[in-house]
Amino acid sequence: MTAVPPVDVERARARPTGHLRLARLVLSEYFTLVLCALYLAAVYPFVPEMLTAEVAANVLSDMMPLLVVAIGQTFVLVIAGIDLSVTAIISMAAVVGASVMTGTGGYLAGSPLAVPGAILAMLLVGLAIGAINGLSVTRLNMPSFIVTLATRMFFAGAAIWYTTFHSASSSIADLPAGFTAIAEGDVLGVPVTVLIAVAVAVAAHLTLSRSRLGRHIYAVGANPKAARISGVPVARTILITFMISGACAAITSVMYVSRMQTGSPIVGENILLDVIGAVVIGGTSLFGGKGKVLWTVFGVLFLVLLDTSMKLLGASLFAIFIIKGGVILLAAMIDTLRHRLMATR
Amino acid sequence: MKIGSRLLLLLLQNAPYVLFVVLLVAFGLMSDRFLAVANFRNIIIQAAPIAILAIGMTFVLLIAHIDLSVGASMYLTASVLALYFTGVPWPVGLAAVAVGGAMIGLVNGLVVTRLGVASFIVTLAMLFILRGIAMWLSNTRMLMFPDAITDLNRTALLGIPSAILAFLVVFALAWVVLHQTPFGRQVYAVGEDPEAARKAGLPVERITLACFVIAGLCAGIGGFVTISQIGAVGPKYGDQVEFAAIAASVLGGVSLFGGRGSVAGTVFGAILIKTVQNGLNIINADPYIYPLVTAAIIFLAVAIDGLRTRILERLEQRTIRPLSEA
Amino acid sequence: MTDSHPARTPPLLEVAGLTKSFFGVRVLHGIGYSLRAGEALGLVGENGSGKSTTMNILGGVHQPDGGAMLLDSAPYAPAGPGEAIRAGIAFIHQELNLFPNLTIEENLFIDGFPRRSRLIPLIDRAAIRRRTEDLLAQVNLDLKPGTPVARLSQGERQLVEIAKALGRSPKVIIFDEPTTSLTRREVDRLFAIIARLKARGIGIIYISHALEDVMTVCDHVTVLRDGALAGGGRRQDLSVPAIIAMMVGRSIDTVFPPRTVRPRAEEALVVEDLSQPGVAEAISFSIRAGEVLGLAGLMGSGRSELARMIFGLDRFARGRISVAGRPLENPTPITAMEAGIAFLTEDRRSEGLLMGFSVAENMVLTSLPAVAGALGLVDGRKVVDTAVSMARTVHLSTEKVSDTLVKHLSGGNQQKVVIGKWLLRQPAVFILDEPTRGIDVGAKQEVYRIINQLVERGSAVLLISSEIEELIGLSDRILTLCRGELTGGFERSPGPGPGFDREAIMTAATGVAVARTRTGTRDVA
Repeated sequence: MTAVPPVDVERARARPTGHLRLARLVLSEYFTLVLCALYLAAVYPFVPEMLTAEVAANVLSDMMPLLVVAIGQTFVLVIAGIDLSVTAIISMAAVVGASVMTGTGGYLAGSPLAVPGAILAMLLVGLAIGAINGLSVTRLNMPSFIVTLATRMFFAGAAIWYTTFHSASSSIADLPAGFTAIAEGDVLGVPVTVLIAVAVAVAAHLTLSRSRLGRHIYAVGANPKAARISGVPVARTILITFMISGACAAITSVMYVSRMQTGSPIVGENILLDVIGAVVIGGTSLFGGKGKVLWTVFGVLFLVLLDTSMKLLGASLFAIFIIKGGVILLAAMIDTLRHRLMATR
Repeated sequence: MKIGSRLLLLLLQNAPYVLFVVLLVAFGLMSDRFLAVANFRNIIIQAAPIAILAIGMTFVLLIAHIDLSVGASMYLTASVLALYFTGVPWPVGLAAVAVGGAMIGLVNGLVVTRLGVASFIVTLAMLFILRGIAMWLSNTRMLMFPDAITDLNRTALLGIPSAILAFLVVFALAWVVLHQTPFGRQVYAVGEDPEAARKAGLPVERITLACFVIAGLCAGIGGFVTISQIGAVGPKYGDQVEFAAIAASVLGGVSLFGGRGSVAGTVFGAILIKTVQNGLNIINADPYIYPLVTAAIIFLAVAIDGLRTRILERLEQRTIRPLSEA
Repeated sequence: MTDSHPARTPPLLEVAGLTKSFFGVRVLHGIGYSLRAGEALGLVGENGSGKSTTMNILGGVHQPDGGAMLLDSAPYAPAGPGEAIRAGIAFIHQELNLFPNLTIEENLFIDGFPRRSRLIPLIDRAAIRRRTEDLLAQVNLDLKPGTPVARLSQGERQLVEIAKALGRSPKVIIFDEPTTSLTRREVDRLFAIIARLKARGIGIIYISHALEDVMTVCDHVTVLRDGALAGGGRRQDLSVPAIIAMMVGRSIDTVFPPRTVRPRAEEALVVEDLSQPGVAEAISFSIRAGEVLGLAGLMGSGRSELARMIFGLDRFARGRISVAGRPLENPTPITAMEAGIAFLTEDRRSEGLLMGFSVAENMVLTSLPAVAGALGLVDGRKVVDTAVSMARTVHLSTEKVSDTLVKHLSGGNQQKVVIGKWLLRQPAVFILDEPTRGIDVGAKQEVYRIINQLVERGSAVLLISSEIEELIGLSDRILTLCRGELTGGFERSPGPGPGFDREAIMTAATGVAVARTRTGTRDVA
């Protein structure tokens, strides 16, 4: 009985060390964290306020809504899909939730069930749009990016239209105090939004790394053919990831609406780049099969640092557009580079 | 099974035409202004810029790529034209935006071919970058265009309005390139099966690059026609026209999976989309539902494409024994 | 073989002493053959005998390590496929290389359209139409040059491919398994065309498993076995049985571990009347618990397709499947697995494994509930323990089970991971499609040992293999499949000796009419 030892193919060893060191950094789990530190060091001379407690607290609170929606996006990217509709889900959930609980003509105005009812409605909106996306991909054989572009356009328009039935102004205000407390409240000094985001992150981490569903998600993303032959319900797994993404976007919507104290149909409009940028720069691959919640946390941190520093520098909207567009492009290039490095190792 | 599939395929492939007839009848019944000849002329004039854009998009879709940056490209080239080419005669202006658009297409194409990044993410990033640059250059102001350009909209040659003329020229050129040149036929081959095309010795990368350049070029020209029609551009200019262009192509039978479709179909798709918008306008529909309708049309078009592709794949499946000893 | 001909003219193509190694493994040991203008040479041999490598060298895809080729008496050593084409070698592959979305004429000229003038890049439509009409007439294809290829049948597409080759005025045309998906009428038409090509002085090399076709078409036959010449000669001097005898020969005996158990009485898998147009026709068989049923068939015979249908991966139009007496209606991979079927696919890289994942992650993918702990979450320790114990069972080093990515393993070890992944489910029926392809001798022995263990435990095994030695060494019974139909069934004969008649199996697998009696196959099924 002689066991044949596995033969390691370590071609990487033969490479020049400089190349190898760079490759190792790019492939490292903490690449984005290093990037964050480098970025901080680079901008610190221009915006020393970056390292004050006040700004740090701001960074933290800005991170939370983005983190939740980015975590949902992580699930979809791991199955090699993409969900561009999250911004529209946030907007649609915002106006639907607000229309349920607003004091002026809300469906549940004044009822003790107003707040839970509104939150439930928002989650249902997220799940429903996620289901539409997922079913279109699995049943109708549509590429996910174009499905979600179409649903994004549709529900962004629908949110604005919906608002016209519930408010004379451009958004639905007069929300109950119980709801706005989500953004302001804290438990033992920890903001409620942070608690929610941490809960989502922990649940998502456990799902991806420990649950049967998580294993299925990675398998589908890495090799749908092999996954199917191994008994993974491929179509159902894809559907579920889109629904998770929708639900996460709805939770983000809850956070934004309570912070702004109004249900605006354009609340999500401008964060698409931040969501995709954060997840991809974090290291989750556009090619599927690879991604972690922790990476997305780092990616969101990087994006929020970028955002905060640019605001402190007084950059205009267009500068932010250019830089974030550049970040996505860069992140996608790094992703491709990583993919190629992995293929040759 | 095969006969059923073929029937479904036939139905799917003709769905846009059925939709067009249904729309004509429906809008015609709702308003007697809709079926007037003058209105059709209007529809075609309105459809001209989208059609030009969509013709460029067709080249990119034929090789199974996509360009989401054409709307932003229009805005940037228009801004550069308004800011730095004041007082030039219109042909110089047209050349400027066309070259500018082509250069943007070249950048897209280079990133896609050289770095191997998925085209939708490259062009999505470019969308924001180009729009940001344009807003930076223009400082988000409304930019006005001189009469030399806006007069074009009132000009006609042999009774054909300039917008329609521009569209016809682009259409004719694109048709000739796609159907009568070696390059055009090779575009179809690359889109059908890039691996087989490579094996057949075709320069796949160069063809891909050229398609992105053509999409950019058409964005420039389509943008110029739009400018002549509206006379001024602001930060919302060109927003989401890429969707209209994609929808026009896909409705006209161009597949997102590459290799299938033609510019004639694309032109039909552009007219269909403008007919919808025109009809909604004429029956005084709630303006808020316009984007909803457009999005629904895109969705429908892509769903048809997805199902059709799946059926075609099934029909093309290799067999190991003859289906029948006929 | 040329000796018998009076050497009036030198041969069109003369090849001598070709050798070729891949990764240090020699696959060709001095192959030589010659082809005269206007003659057809049949090239036959089992899978892996060196036919493809020989032809890929002729087609410029590979370069030989040694040996020489003469084309028209001039040294010929193509550096790439382009050079081979220009030298006049045309290769009609089994997988046709046409673009169905283009017309016939466009396909013929896709890599070099004639232009109307040097300056304007417009296709000279009139010229390509004329030339296409001419080429189509040469292959007797009565179609308009502007017909889209998507509308053509397989046979018509093949003729278009031949027309494409003719457009380059070839000296030699290589046909690789040209008749696989053709109807009888299309085959007859193809043979008529080949006869005309010969009459025009073109040399034909015809590769096929269908030996009767080879005998119809070819003037000479060369038989390869294990990368070396096994025989050949003029058609008149050969017979199908003689060719089969040369193909099979007697290769190095692999030692198969002895098995102590006999198949049990109960049937583990019953397949009845399984049919799908274009893929399978009325396939019926059963496997008993503790039995190894070998499935012999040449590439493209429908072996893998049959396995995929049973496992619920491909649809079938008609037929019944039952596992351990329970019917398996409309199987999907999930229901097939629940019924107790396991499936090791032919292509381990693209269908069997998640290459970028660890050994443990791959192994537990099929049995996640078994490694779940509290709250139904996957228990990392259980995953590793389960994988480690399975690694011991399949003789895979246990050291790196949790952190070695399978893409870093050798082919043999990768295969053990796939096997282990299925063994964790303790399958009642294990379908193994080419389980020893591309793995070394040691790993092969391990696979044989595992198969024995499986049947000793009472599982049923459906073994699909291109290596007839392997089927003979391991199977209790062997069925042969050809063009989607069962063509023969063989029982192991008791007592010493190989247990099976290799030549009879080869004959049935190549579809020679002898074994094509329906009743015969039903009896053994």
